[in-house]
Amino acid sequence: MDFLTPFQIALTLLANGDPELMSIIGLSLTVSMTAVATSLLIGLPLGAILAAYRFPGRTPLIVISNTFLGMPPVVIGLLIYLLISRAGPFGFLGILYTPAAMMIAQTVLVLPISIALSRQAFEALNGEYAPLFHSLGLGRLTRIRALVFEARATLLTIALVCFGRAISEVGAVMIVGGNIRHSTRVMTTSIALATSMGELAFAMALGIVLLLVALVVNIASQILRNSLRNFGHDV
Amino acid sequence: MTSDRQTSEMILSARDICLSRDGNRLLDSVSLDIRRGRITFLLGYNGAGKTLLLSCLHGLLELESGSVDAPPRDRQKMVFQKPIIMRRTAAGHLRFVCPGVAETELADWMKRAGIQDRTSAPARALSGGEQQKLALIGALATKPDILFLDEPTAHLDFAATKFVEDMIREAHATGTTIVMTTHNRSQAERLGQDVLFLDDGRLVEAAPAATFFKAPGHALTRQYLEHL
Repeated sequence: MDFLTPFQIALTLLANGDPELMSIIGLSLTVSMTAVATSLLIGLPLGAILAAYRFPGRTPLIVISNTFLGMPPVVIGLLIYLLISRAGPFGFLGILYTPAAMMIAQTVLVLPISIALSRQAFEALNGEYAPLFHSLGLGRLTRIRALVFEARATLLTIALVCFGRAISEVGAVMIVGGNIRHSTRVMTTSIALATSMGELAFAMALGIVLLLVALVVNIASQILRNSLRNFGHDV
Repeated sequence: MTSDRQTSEMILSARDICLSRDGNRLLDSVSLDIRRGRITFLLGYNGAGKTLLLSCLHGLLELESGSVDAPPRDRQKMVFQKPIIMRRTAAGHLRFVCPGVAETELADWMKRAGIQDRTSAPARALSGGEQQKLALIGALATKPDILFLDEPTAHLDFAATKFVEDMIREAHATGTTIVMTTHNRSQAERLGQDVLFLDDGRLVEAAPAATFFKAPGHALTRQYLEHL
């Protein structure tokens, strides 16, 4: 395989707007971005609570959450599979081999990241703002809302880390999605399939496309971060 | 001007405040009264416990023992030595710390502080002096009954110090009780009406400012004033 061939294939695929490729990119982005949004929605308030309050069971919760940071995607895929397969407790939902199952698997995968990183960010901010919040007599909800707002630039970085982890994983979505053409095939499972079929140049080209997609997302977030930097964020 | 009747009232009373950290007694049975409508200075060496005591009086720290009888939380304000500034515009910061205060009133406060052209600037990008002004007007705009100031002019230049002192005088004239710390003797003499002297976590002397500076009653106070 010529070193430049994958680049040529990648450019051709993108230039031609190959419908199948576009639908795969679209599904990859939809699944990963939904998973990231869901994990942030759950993880950020949890991170803020863990950072701002001391309560019984807090330390075990942190340890469990941190343990999940090292969980292999394939194990998470297997866990979700067992839960949503026909014989599993949530089998009645009938979501196995659907994008919904892939979103759930990726949410579980990135949730510990959003909790751990947001807790760290909120702990630093809470240390800084606690005297002011206390002085102003703010209630719990107002404090958490204010912390989330003040941490908005850092949260953008956390979202990017989560997105990077979600869009690049293959094990979990392969197990619960099944890599079904026109249905649950995403960039990473396409790359795995092309590699297994010996289409190495095509697989590499898909990898380049995946990187380009990640590049576009990062450029957009950098533009947003530059605008936030003006508001005193260390980004 | 504040009437004699007002000044004879106590706005805050603390009894036997004790606070320890890591086995060290930082505040040792501190009892004091703050008279309503007065400017009270809390003086002492570095590490004497001034900031800790101020935080205890404001209710920021949980006491090990003792009690503080003070106005309700929403009638108190505190300005910290290093201003705590939100990651918002200057106007956004003011809105956050002064909920319920009208926009026009906040704009007026900014104008008085001379930072009206910085309204849309990121609050944390303001200079140190501007940030301290922002913190001070954020406290004053809510018209608190009692205002705690922890070395509010510690890092300020002459002009900013004058602004802060003018604002303190104005707040005092409208009936706000001021409790503040400083290492600046001339400032304490210029503004102070009452003085509390703290040494090694203990309240050594409490006296009207004139008496404190001219005829201190305790050997530790005399020693301190020689250094100040």
